[in-house]
Amino acid sequence: MATVVVARPAARPTPRARDEEVLVWPDLVFVEFISALLFTVLLFLLSYLMNAPLLDEANANVTNDPAKAPWYLLNLQELLLHMNPALAGIVVPTVWLIVLGAFPYFDRSTEGQGRWFADVNSVKNTVFSFMVGWWGTLALILWNSGKVALWLKDWFGFSGGDTLAFLERSAALKDPSVVPWPDWASSIPYLWFNLKILDEGPGAGVTTFQKIDLPTLLVDIGIPAGFMVGFTCLLIFALWKVGWVLTRRDALITLMSGFVGVFLMLTIIGTAFRGPGQDLIWPWDLRTLEGIPGQE
Amino acid sequence: MAVEQPTQPTIGDLIYDKLFHNYVWRSIFRTGYPNTPRNQMLVVATNVFLHLHPTRIHRTHVKITHTYCLGGLTFFMFLGLTVTGILLMFYYVPSVDRAYLDIQNIQTNVQFGQLMRNMHRWMAHAMVILVFLHMLRVFYTGAYKPPREFNWVVGVVLLVLTFLLSFTGYLLPWDQLAFWAITVGTNIAGSAPVLGPKTRFWLLGGFEVGPDALIRFYTLHVIGLPLLAAIFMAVHFWRIRRDGGLARPL
Ligand code: HEM
Repeated sequence: MATVVVARPAARPTPRARDEEVLVWPDLVFVEFISALLFTVLLFLLSYLMNAPLLDEANANVTNDPAKAPWYLLNLQELLLHMNPALAGIVVPTVWLIVLGAFPYFDRSTEGQGRWFADVNSVKNTVFSFMVGWWGTLALILWNSGKVALWLKDWFGFSGGDTLAFLERSAALKDPSVVPWPDWASSIPYLWFNLKILDEGPGAGVTTFQKIDLPTLLVDIGIPAGFMVGFTCLLIFALWKVGWVLTRRDALITLMSGFVGVFLMLTIIGTAFRGPGQDLIWPWDLRTLEGIPGQE
Repeated sequence: MAVEQPTQPTIGDLIYDKLFHNYVWRSIFRTGYPNTPRNQMLVVATNVFLHLHPTRIHRTHVKITHTYCLGGLTFFMFLGLTVTGILLMFYYVPSVDRAYLDIQNIQTNVQFGQLMRNMHRWMAHAMVILVFLHMLRVFYTGAYKPPREFNWVVGVVLLVLTFLLSFTGYLLPWDQLAFWAITVGTNIAGSAPVLGPKTRFWLLGGFEVGPDALIRFYTLHVIGLPLLAAIFMAVHFWRIRRDGGLARPL
């Protein structure tokens, strides 16, 4: 590639360091052109090799099992299996997007910008946090789907029985035979009038806003929210203790890298490892996967 | 010292001259190939498509490994999706009776129809992946730091818009994949406390995925969201210039 450097006489130093600059035409325009061309060719090739999926015509009476959202939402759908739907589907993504948007207002230093991994610990910080998010999510999914308990039983003959059932899946905590919840715990009134704002349609009713179900609240919201916030804080705290997280930038790197690990793991599990009834299965046992060649 | 002698023009020169130095060509492209730095800067500054760029940039920013062209490629996907999308619109009618048949028709009866549909689909996936990678590149190069705070926020909006564009398009083939994906997706929105059911109702134009949902998703997909995305992209690109080009070490 021809590089044209706009040279100025050295005797006239300029504040914008013109010597370091190159012309957009040809240098940048050339790179842009080539990458656009490359992608066009690649996409034509892909489109030639692989057809977009088209199943049977939509039919509200025949459920697709597993019914899956588009792949980039399967992370949320995976979360949904483990906690309160509003927490997984609304609160988590909303809070995350706000946190993401607030990044530059939290880390206001101008140091180290414009260079890949400019800060001292950033590479190991990134790799480590990613790994924690990635493997941690896998461990939590396996645990909460009862797989870990199953393996313990199969391989070591160890079983928690009824009393330790919560070790298999957190939902067991709701069960009165596991935790002796008093009767009142599952319906604690907090509103003494009928609040009906914007609440209509199937499933919406008088009681929607009136009572708290403590065991459900704990299992579906308390524990998962505690895990998500707690683990994040713990990770950042631990890395701070170790001396890897020194600045706000470092904290953000931990947060972002951990997020990417979690996000990818959730997406992959949701896309390739969830079969009928949203059970964990192997990808090769899965039939309706987007874009499989030759799929009807 | 040998003095260069004028040579006879070759056939090639004559053809070149006829092709590119004629009246019509000159009316479109006022200058020939810009081969001096001055003309190269002029062409970038005065050409409507190129003038999004500055005329010069720092040499580290043309290194592929700095941006991997990810933002530009995301934009390129957007352009490609617009082109293939318009072609698909010629044949597709967003009614429950026709949508599925139209897609089948595009695949079997329309010249290059299957190719157009494939391109549109795979480009849409590519755009989602690319925008995500672009965000990561911006993050790991620390390019969101002052003075680019707001452009990062504009970027987050673009990220959401990209997801929404893809999501609204997902329903349009009106097959089982589309139907159940949107049912699941909008159920997620419907689970929000207080506002959830209403939001879902607004999105779908009813309690279930049906004809009203199809026309809403279609309208959002082909005009509402692309328009919004185009506006935010314009702001995004403008801000890059205003913020002094791409971030670089101070
Ligand atoms: C449709 C979506 C988007 C398009 C078309 C787009 C396009 C671009 C382009 C062409 C650039 C120039 C440099 C490069 O190619 O990397 C850029 C830079 C930038 N983008 Fe995006 N972008 C999009 C989404 C985002 C997102 C999701 C974020 C972050 C959350 C973001 C934040 C930024 C920032 C901060 C810069 C300046 C980078 C620097 O100074 O080095 N953009 N964008």
